[in-house]
Amino acid sequence: MTLTSTLVRSTPRQAPAVAPRNLARLLWVELRHNAMPLVLPLIAVLLWFDSYRIAATLPPLWVMRLFYILGQGHALLDFAPFVAGVAAWMGSRDGRRGTGDLVTATVRPRWEAQLATWAATVVWAVGAYLVFMAVMLYLLGRVVAWGGLPWWAIAVDGAGVAAVASVGFAAGARFPGRFIAPVTAFGTVLAMGLSSQTGFAANSGWALILPTMSNGNFGQDAGIFYQWLPDLPIARVIFFTGIAAAAVGLLGLSPAAGGPRLRRSAAVITATGAAATVAAIVLAVSAHVGPYGTVIPALHDAANDKPIAYTPVCRNAGIPVCVQPAYRPYLGDLAAAVGPVAREVAGLPGAPVRATQTAALFAAEQEHPVQGWVGQVVTLGGSPAVLSMPTGAIALPGAFGSYDAGFVDQIKVEAVHAFAVTASAFGNPGQAAVEAALLQHAGIPLPAQPNALGDSPWPLPGGGPHATAHYPPPVAAAAERFAALPASARHAWLAAHLGALRAGQISLGQLP
Amino acid sequence: MTASRVHRAAPGAVSAPAARPGPAWLRLAWLYLVSRRAPTALALLAGCGALLWVALHWHWSVSGGPAAQVLFPLLTEAGAAAVIAATTYGPFGEPERATGRWLPYLRLGATVVLTAAAIGALALGSTGGQLPGGFAAMARNVAGITGVGLLCAIVFGGMLAWTGPMAYWVLAEAALADRLTTPWVWPARPPLDRGGAMCAYLVFVTGLVLITVRGVRESVRDTST
Repeated sequence: MTLTSTLVRSTPRQAPAVAPRNLARLLWVELRHNAMPLVLPLIAVLLWFDSYRIAATLPPLWVMRLFYILGQGHALLDFAPFVAGVAAWMGSRDGRRGTGDLVTATVRPRWEAQLATWAATVVWAVGAYLVFMAVMLYLLGRVVAWGGLPWWAIAVDGAGVAAVASVGFAAGARFPGRFIAPVTAFGTVLAMGLSSQTGFAANSGWALILPTMSNGNFGQDAGIFYQWLPDLPIARVIFFTGIAAAAVGLLGLSPAAGGPRLRRSAAVITATGAAATVAAIVLAVSAHVGPYGTVIPALHDAANDKPIAYTPVCRNAGIPVCVQPAYRPYLGDLAAAVGPVAREVAGLPGAPVRATQTAALFAAEQEHPVQGWVGQVVTLGGSPAVLSMPTGAIALPGAFGSYDAGFVDQIKVEAVHAFAVTASAFGNPGQAAVEAALLQHAGIPLPAQPNALGDSPWPLPGGGPHATAHYPPPVAAAAERFAALPASARHAWLAAHLGALRAGQISLGQLP
Repeated sequence: MTASRVHRAAPGAVSAPAARPGPAWLRLAWLYLVSRRAPTALALLAGCGALLWVALHWHWSVSGGPAAQVLFPLLTEAGAAAVIAATTYGPFGEPERATGRWLPYLRLGATVVLTAAAIGALALGSTGGQLPGGFAAMARNVAGITGVGLLCAIVFGGMLAWTGPMAYWVLAEAALADRLTTPWVWPARPPLDRGGAMCAYLVFVTGLVLITVRGVRESVRDTST
C-alpha cells in the first residue's frame, strides 16, 4: 500500500445535536438528587412563624401587611441562610467525596456539570420561594379589599434567593468540607443582620440597595393612592442578578473547569455580573426620595407618577367623611372621630364642611421646609374649609401597638389642633386651653388628654407619652373654665375671637 | 518464591516505623478528633469568639427591641452550636460502629470538650463589651442550642445538623420580637431564670446522652447528595 492508495478520509459528520437533551437529563438527575427539598418544610414552618404570623395581625392593607415581609426583608431572612447552606453543601459535593478529578476527566466540561447542579439548586430554591410566597399572599390577601401588589419587591426577594444560592454554591465548590454549609448559612445571616443594621439607620446612598432597607421606599400609601415605584426594586434585581452571575462565572475560571473557550465565557459572565452589581449600587447612590417613593432618574418612568384613580367611600358624621376604598375598614373610626369635633365647631368661620382622606407621602418633609414642622398631620384648608386627613401616616389600629380608641383620639386631637392653631406647631397657652375644652366636649375628658396628646406631635411636658405628663395648672384651670361655659356662650366667644385665637393673640387671661 | 518466604521482608525494604510513644487511648482520641475535624472546629469556635468580640466592641445592633439587642450575640452562640453539631458526623460509617467499642466515650468526650471550648471562646469574646445576660445566659444558650444541634444530628443526620441551631436562632429571634416568654425559648428568659436554664440544660443532656449512645443518623442523603 502506498500513500497514494490510502483512502481519503471524508470530513467527519457533525456530531448529532444531543447536547441539549443530555443537559436536560443532567438537570433532571440533579433536581431529583438535590438536598434543597429536605429543608423546604423547615423553611415553610419558619416562614409561617416569623413572617406570616406577624403580618396577619397587621391592618388589611398590602402596604402594611407586606412591610414586615418585604419591606424589612423578613421573607428573604427566613429563606437565605437555609438556601445558602444547602447550596454550599451541593457545591461542595465532589470536593467532599474526593471525586473532583474523576468528574473532571469525564466527557462533559467540569463547569457544565457544575452548572447543572447549580441550576437544580436555584430552581428548587426560587421555585419554593415563589410557591410559598403565593400561598402567603393568598392567605394575607383574603381581607385586603383594595390595592395592587408590589410585584417588583416580590421579584427582588426571588432574585435575592437566587443570589444567596449562587454564592453559597460557589463557596461550597471552592472550600469543600463538612463545615462549609453551616459557615455559609451563618455567614449569610450575619450579612443580613448587618444589612438590617445599616438599612434601619440609613435614609439614602448605597444602603438603598440592601433588601432589608425600607426607609423612603416601602410604606406610606404606596399601591393605594399611587403606584409602587419600581425604580429601586429594579436596581435591586440587577444587583442580585449580578451577584448570582458573578458567583457562577467564578466557578468556570479554574483551569479544571473546561477548555479555553469555556473559561473565556466564564470570565465574560463574571465580569458582566460584577459590572451589573456595581452599576446597581451606582444607580442606588443616584436615587432621591420623591413624594411617591425612591426615584432613580435613569430608571424612572414618568407614567408611574400618575395617581391611582378611585371612587371615595363616604359616611355622614354631621359632615361627609370620605376615604379611599382601601381604608373602608377605618371609615367608622374616622367618622366617630370627626363627627364630635365637627359638631363642636359647626357654624363657626372656617369650620370644615367635609373631611377627606389624602395620601400619605414619602418626601412630604421636603415640601414643607417650615421650622417646627411635625410630620404629616390633619390639616384644615380651602374655601369652604375641608379637613384633610393623611390617614396612612397615622398608626392604624392593629399596627405598631395602636388600637381603635387610640386611633380615634389621635384623629380628634389632630382635627381640633388644625382648627385652633393655624400652623402645625405647638400652640400658645390660650390655644392649648381652648383645644383642651373642645377635646373634652368631643369625648376626651381632661384627665385623659395627656395620654391622647402623648401619641400626637404635641405631647404635654412632664413625662413620657403615657406617664406623668400633665397640663400646666393655669392652662388646666382655663380649660376647665372655658369647658364649663354653656355651649351657646362658648360658640359665641369662638365666633368672635377665632381669628385672634388662631393667630396666637389670645392669652389665658383673655379666655372667659 | 514460595509461600514460606512471604513472612520475610523483601530485600531493601524499610521497616515500618515504630508506633509513636504515648498511651494508646490518647492516640485513639486524637485520631477520633481528627476524623471529626475537631481542629477545624476549634478554629471556627475561636472565630465565633472573635466575631462576638467585634460585635460587642463596635456595638453592632439593629435598632430597638430585645430581639435586636441579642441578635449578634445569639448568632455567635448558635453558630458555635452548629459547628459542634457538624463535628458529630463520622466518615467511616458501619465499619467504625462495628469495631469501635470506645466510640460512645469518644463521642461523649469530644462533644463535651467542644462545648466547653465554645463557651470558653465566647467568654473571651464577651470581653469586647457588655454581653446581654452575661456569662450565665451565654453558657445556657450555647448548651441549649448545642443540644438542639445534637438532636438534629440524631434525627436528620450530619448533613443537616446545622439546620437545628439555625432554625432555633430564627425562632428565638421571632419569639423575642413577639415577647413570648416560654422557657423553651431560653434566650428570652433572664440569665438566672430557673425554667429557662432547666429547659436548655435538659435539651443539652438529652442530646448528649443520645449522641453518646446512638451516634448520628447515617443518612443515605449524606452520601447521595
